Amino acid sequence: MEAAPSIETVVQFGDGDSIREVPAPRLAVWLFLTSEIMVFGGLISCFILLRIAHGGWDAEAAHVHWRIGAFNTLVLLTSSLTMALACTSAKEGKEGMARRLRTYLGFTILLGLTFLGVKACEYSLEFAKGLTPGAGLFWAFYYTLTGLHSLHVLAGIILNSTLWIAAARADLVPVVQRRIEYAGLYWHFVDVVWIFLFPLVYLT
Amino acid sequence: MQEKSAHLVGAALDIRIWEWLVGLLIIGLMVFVMPIPKVVAIGLVFAAAVVKAVLVVRKYMHLAAEHWLLCVLAITPVVLIAGMAIALSPDIAFRQ
Repeated sequence: MEAAPSIETVVQFGDGDSIREVPAPRLAVWLFLTSEIMVFGGLISCFILLRIAHGGWDAEAAHVHWRIGAFNTLVLLTSSLTMALACTSAKEGKEGMARRLRTYLGFTILLGLTFLGVKACEYSLEFAKGLTPGAGLFWAFYYTLTGLHSLHVLAGIILNSTLWIAAARADLVPVVQRRIEYAGLYWHFVDVVWIFLFPLVYLT
Repeated sequence: MQEKSAHLVGAALDIRIWEWLVGLLIIGLMVFVMPIPKVVAIGLVFAAAVVKAVLVVRKYMHLAAEHWLLCVLAITPVVLIAGMAIALSPDIAFRQ
């Protein structure tokens, strides 16, 4: 039986003097993100086309809480900063790296939980007004788009939490140091999706 | 200017990018509340969103430093989705 490939397996592009190596996990994460772009892109384009077809859904869209959405956007952008700082700390590998990693990852997780908590409050406000997924096509799209995004945020929080727990063990810090880049790619992608969802759902 | 940005590495660069992202968010919100034509407002808001997304992808996800094939990998689904939407728009969005 062949040995499983190590985490340092690379994929080579080019030939001769122009060979460029990309770590296989990084390529795999980008391939996964590509499939996620298809999922969200398909939903978003359907929303846009049907919104134009139905005259803009201005009356329905007037009930969304854009201030809450703006606050959540700020929360998610700041979580991207803390995730980027965690990845930068891991890359630099300076003294105290493990402590900084846990601090920045911890903040990322807290901000992610804040996003989900605010989203839950927003949903409850809308449910109280009778604006459920069955209230119309706009609301069906609203809950599908934001709900699917929230599930992705939750998955990111779980992923980051496993890294945060692992970083508490000295023997696992090098593993976290290698893998946090891939968790960072996923988390930033989740942020990019919200960067487009917020104006699409709340500001138009 | 180039010397200044060359010194921005690591955490300082990450924070600078965040400042730009928050600034673009504020601009988008200001455009939203201003009494300007809706089409103009939507265009400006989405332009700000595109700039924010490009900043995150290039600087936080480091796509700018990757092999060009990874860039093609990331852009291909966007092109496919946009093409599909444009192709379907006469039958769905602008159906008489």
